[in-house]
Amino acid sequence: MHIAEGFLPVGHAVGWTVVAAPFVVHGARAVVKEVRENPESTLLLGAAGAFTFVLSAIKLPSVTGSSSHPTGTGPGAILFRPPVMALLGTVVLLFQALLLAHGGLTTLGANAFAFAVVGPWVGYGACRLVRALGAGLLPAVFAGVALADLATYVTTSFQLALAFPDAESGLAGALLKFLGVFAVTQIPLAVGEGLLGILLFRALTANARPELERLGVLRPAPLAPDGGPA
Amino acid sequence: MTGLAVDDAAWASAWRRRAPADKLLLCGGLVVTALVLPAWPGCALVGAVAVGLALGPARVPARTFGRAVRWPLAFVAVGAVTAVVEVGTGGLGWAPDAAARAGSLVGHALAGGAAVLLLATTTPLADLLPALQRARVPAAVVEVASVVYRLLFVLLDSLRTIREAQAARMGYSSVRRSYRSSGTLAAAVLVRSWDRARRMQEGLAGRGLESGLRVLPETLPSSAAFLAAAGAVIGCIVATSLVIA
Repeated sequence: MHIAEGFLPVGHAVGWTVVAAPFVVHGARAVVKEVRENPESTLLLGAAGAFTFVLSAIKLPSVTGSSSHPTGTGPGAILFRPPVMALLGTVVLLFQALLLAHGGLTTLGANAFAFAVVGPWVGYGACRLVRALGAGLLPAVFAGVALADLATYVTTSFQLALAFPDAESGLAGALLKFLGVFAVTQIPLAVGEGLLGILLFRALTANARPELERLGVLRPAPLAPDGGPA
Repeated sequence: MTGLAVDDAAWASAWRRRAPADKLLLCGGLVVTALVLPAWPGCALVGAVAVGLALGPARVPARTFGRAVRWPLAFVAVGAVTAVVEVGTGGLGWAPDAAARAGSLVGHALAGGAAVLLLATTTPLADLLPALQRARVPAAVVEVASVVYRLLFVLLDSLRTIREAQAARMGYSSVRRSYRSSGTLAAAVLVRSWDRARRMQEGLAGRGLESGLRVLPETLPSSAAFLAAAGAVIGCIVATSLVIA
């Protein structure tokens, strides 16, 4: 769910761009540092961005009878960390605006704050918290991915409520309106994306364990006495 | 054919050989004009000019333009209706100026969307990325964005092929199977993206990759006549809008 081009008043479009900018700049600095130290990271980071874009092309069956598209930032935040996702998410949003007419240029700041900043941080935090409480990787992934999606939707609703407060009930009433209207698609989508996250990480654990260990998502498997994997 | 209709239209557009900076100035001007002018007549004029230029001189297929507008239309319609519904003590009701406010919201969004789509359907992203570097975006960031652009078509192709194979094996015959297939599909695409990146890195390292992925940017000359016409069009929209308003 991205705010369409021209939907936000000028002041709000500029304001959200200013709010999102420090996070995106921080992400850009992290990427520049990584690329300077390891030039080959350019390709892996590009692959991560392309994967996030492509995830939005996967259709999930929806309870409303149609289909929905995952946001892709939850798995990205767990795999590549939120600062990197702030930049990659913004690049993906720019590409979605210019390749799919999804979102916009003047609303890029608002969408980046919801999709590339709040969503990844909430998802990553939830995943770390659930793991710290002793749960396994898959429950943590479900919590992280589903909450990243929900946080994006709640933030977008808040941005819309702030731009269009209700004449009688003010910001609170407007927030309830937008949350209620978009809940029909976004809550089932969050649950669906959480389930997709479980299936994705289960498949990755089986087929790409070394990559998950290198990214720090899984601890390296203990070695057997003969020196091979246990 | 890249598989994304808007990108295909951009490569085939009659404006493909125009300087990206010229098109950015025209479309950026239209986007800002749509944002700051009143919906009537400003946004109506911006929308008409953007659609007219796309379907006329730029020769963008009307079908591509129309299909691309469908994406944001659902959000705009739901968002505009929600914005003009009031929550009061007596329940839900329409705001006193609901029709005018909804019309204004839809007008701004459609006009701005059409202006962005004019840029998107006439300028491939590969032409716009070097402009980011000229705007002082760090080279490393532009390089990552370039790799995203180049890899996403490969991954979209993989996605389609794997999904087709899954569908042929009844992988989407029920909701449960659809979820399982989508999960393995996402995992397969991610593993392939890593594999592609690793193979590209090995290939480039063998060719002496040490710092950046340097490529020769294509230089497209700017046209003074195009810029003058763009300025005149935007000036006319602003003047007409102010006179009528």
